[in-house]
Amino acid sequence: MKARRLTPYILIVVPATFLLAFFVIPSAVLLSMSVVQSEDTIPTGNLTLDNYATLLSNRLYLSAILRSFIIGVASGVIVVVLAYPLAYFLVRTTSRWKNLLIALSLAPLLASVIVRTYGWWVVLNREGALNVALRSLGAIDQPLIMLPSTSAIVIGLAHALLPYGVLTIMASLNGLNPNLERAAMSLGAGRVRTFLAVTLPLTAPGILGGFLLTFAIAMSAYATPAILGGPTTEVMATMIRRFMLELLDWSLGSAMGAILLVSAMILLLLTSALGNRQRES
Amino acid sequence: MTGRLPWSALKLAVACIYLFMLGPIVITASVAFNQDNRSYFPPRGFSLQWWEAAFGPQWLQPLLFSLELATLTALISAAAGVPLAFAFQRYRFPGKALVRAITLGPLILPTLVTGIALLQFLSLIGLGRWMGFWALLIGHVVICLPFSVRTIAISLAAMPGNVEPAASSLGATPFAVLRHVTLPLAAPGVLAGMIFAFVHSFDDVNLSLFIARPGERPLTVAILGFLEFGFAPTLAAVSIVSMLIPLALVALFGRFVGIGDFLYQETGNG
Amino acid sequence: MADPALQITTLTKRFGTLTAVDAIDLTVAQGEFVTLLGPSGCGKTTTLNMIAGFVPPDAGSIRLQGRPVESLPPFRRDLGLVFQDYALFPHMTAAENVGFGLRMRRLPREETVRRVAEALDLVQMSGLGERRPSQLSGGQRQRVALARALVIRPAMLLLDEPLSNLDLKLREEMRGEISALQRRLAIATVFVTHDQGEALTMSDRIAVMRAGRIEQIGTPTDIYERPATRFVAGFIGTANMIEDTDGVTVIRPERLRLSSAEHAPPGTRHWPVRVEHVVYIGPRLELRLRATDGTRLQAEMVNDGTAAWSAGDTATAWFRAEDAWAIRTP
Ligand SMILES: Nc1ncnc2c1ncn2[C@@H]1O[C@H](COP(=O)(O)OP(=O)(O)O)[C@@H](O)[C@H]1O
Ligand SMILES: [Mg+2]
Repeated sequence: MKARRLTPYILIVVPATFLLAFFVIPSAVLLSMSVVQSEDTIPTGNLTLDNYATLLSNRLYLSAILRSFIIGVASGVIVVVLAYPLAYFLVRTTSRWKNLLIALSLAPLLASVIVRTYGWWVVLNREGALNVALRSLGAIDQPLIMLPSTSAIVIGLAHALLPYGVLTIMASLNGLNPNLERAAMSLGAGRVRTFLAVTLPLTAPGILGGFLLTFAIAMSAYATPAILGGPTTEVMATMIRRFMLELLDWSLGSAMGAILLVSAMILLLLTSALGNRQRES
Repeated sequence: MTGRLPWSALKLAVACIYLFMLGPIVITASVAFNQDNRSYFPPRGFSLQWWEAAFGPQWLQPLLFSLELATLTALISAAAGVPLAFAFQRYRFPGKALVRAITLGPLILPTLVTGIALLQFLSLIGLGRWMGFWALLIGHVVICLPFSVRTIAISLAAMPGNVEPAASSLGATPFAVLRHVTLPLAAPGVLAGMIFAFVHSFDDVNLSLFIARPGERPLTVAILGFLEFGFAPTLAAVSIVSMLIPLALVALFGRFVGIGDFLYQETGNG
Repeated sequence: MADPALQITTLTKRFGTLTAVDAIDLTVAQGEFVTLLGPSGCGKTTTLNMIAGFVPPDAGSIRLQGRPVESLPPFRRDLGLVFQDYALFPHMTAAENVGFGLRMRRLPREETVRRVAEALDLVQMSGLGERRPSQLSGGQRQRVALARALVIRPAMLLLDEPLSNLDLKLREEMRGEISALQRRLAIATVFVTHDQGEALTMSDRIAVMRAGRIEQIGTPTDIYERPATRFVAGFIGTANMIEDTDGVTVIRPERLRLSSAEHAPPGTRHWPVRVEHVVYIGPRLELRLRATDGTRLQAEMVNDGTAAWSAGDTATAWFRAEDAWAIRTP
């Protein structure tokens, strides 16, 4: 019996040690680096909150933090607004292309976010597809300057993260008992009212879950802001790269990383609290 | 329920969403056929030279590096994921919740933070020389392990109720149960987990960005580095090639392991 | 003369190569309680779903109150539905569930409140209106579902295996309640079940279905005592089926008699048999018999203390011609 009690520990010992060494301790070190003074990449001083004070008092840094949040919220909203109708269609359609359509809507997940963002650069740049199209329609004389911009970053991220929204919302629609909608219809509710009174409220947790997930990923995304943004549209991730690899100010980099980490944790806790509440009811 | 007005409106909206979703990818692919070294869309002229360039040494080296890294990551993730998933799914033990949270943590926490944490930590303990392949392998296993653990755990949980007790009641030793019942039933989960781990490793930017070094960079980081000098049709061709690899992998093995069954539960960090 | 509440003719539904419902005809008169009875997968739910408008038929017609309804969406058909899983809205209270149909009909507030209270009262649920479905027991959910279907005063009630999620005792209680309620409201009802006991005790008429077809429609007495096919005879109750040259003779176990004498009364069919096994049921005894020619028979008798059979006994099994029913194969 003693052996059996040890079995799970024997199973986990190697991978757990690995994670302790290369995930837990490094993360802890990161959090501690954010509260010590340092000379470039070498910690020197005592405990201090100066790093955070610097980040939160400098206009440039503060606006990067704010922009990350705005981008997170905006991409989250766009993702659920687009993902919901798509997921609803995919769950309900009786088309024989259904499986293909589902695969097609999730396939972008397989491509690196760089590939998906690059397409937007091709569309949005000065001589890009959109400007060419608008000019040939005679809608504009001068090309529109759409890059770099926060809106372009939001569009790129919403595009890249749409499959996550589709997955979350499809899961929640699939979990809905189809008899509930039938019951509503048999009681005289038309399609739209059935949707508003039954389907939408019962899948609201899926919507919120999709939103929070997208928010968290978009907030910490690096590639899309790097490609579609520029010096005027810095976000937390691009600032962190600057601190870590160019300015070699690891304390500030760690502090900003810590802000990102804590924000993501809060979003995560919200998501799981939401899941628990849904499971209870 | 088709043929009604709200449904037709929905179909129209869905068509637009597909256009939004797939348009940029189609545009990227077509840009790679431009005659000149500019990213015109629609493409001007027709040429395959950029596709050729995509397989030149400049791009082949990071591509092979990425493939090697992703393959090793997938193998190690599976090897570490099986015992972890087993312990989580089949045993109750003090500390389980903690170990589980640590294992799944990298799925939820920003990968970028995991990347800078690893960068700092390895430098601080004097292992800066690991930067490049070894650090990347460590980092990728950390961020890909949750995918394989979850997928394997799902396949263990989905196993019909009492097949293992039934096998032992028929005289199978614990080892025989494992070999003849449990592992064959868990195999699709292990394979699917390897596919997810491979794809996630192959596509990663946020972690690799910080711990790659010249000559030892995965394809995504190479593309990103090239982007600083501007955009070119070669890049479009390289992007499409890099997209086709995971796609081909899933197309080849996805049906076999029923990857769709796992997808709903896999909504992790991009 | 009033139109029938429901009239379906040659109604057909195919799923791929499977014909789930195969050209069935059925008429339900005003106030009548008709049961669709058949094994799982025989097409009962599909039939109900076509009547309710959730599944478009491939052929045939459906008339409700004399009106063709093929082109009407479910929400215009004016039917009360009760689902096997009740399908109560989990985000609404019991009272809100019951009031849903009235709100969709935009009834004045006071009337809605009054009718909801009446409906909850009707199913003996007054006072529990503020509870959520998750706070109700299976039987209570069943009652709320019934109230929700009835409160809109539908032209017709459709119930799909509404009792199959309840435990035995409650199921028998609800049988009686639903029957009584249906009779009181005189509402035409189609009741779907795979439970012959429910069908026999509750229905005015029973339609026995098998593999998408209706094998027989008739009163419970018709179905039990004059089954049209072997399938009906075997599916409802137990039957001794004695092969004849031109069909089978059906004799129910409780009509098969047993005597210790060598001879049966004159003019009856009889066999010398051996008692192989006595199954003790409590109020009744079930006897497994084997005739000397190898035929297996089953007899059932009241356990009134007079029957003293045990395994190994020899006896004569016999029945009166009027107790048997012949199914002729054409
Ligand atoms: N939407 C559907 N698609 C394919 N087959 C179906 C569908 N609905 C029902 N069936 C099939 O039609 C047959 C009848 O089903 P159903 O009407 O639900 O039977 P019952 O309610 O009598 O158990 C079954 O074989 C079932 O598998
Ligand atoms: Mg059914």
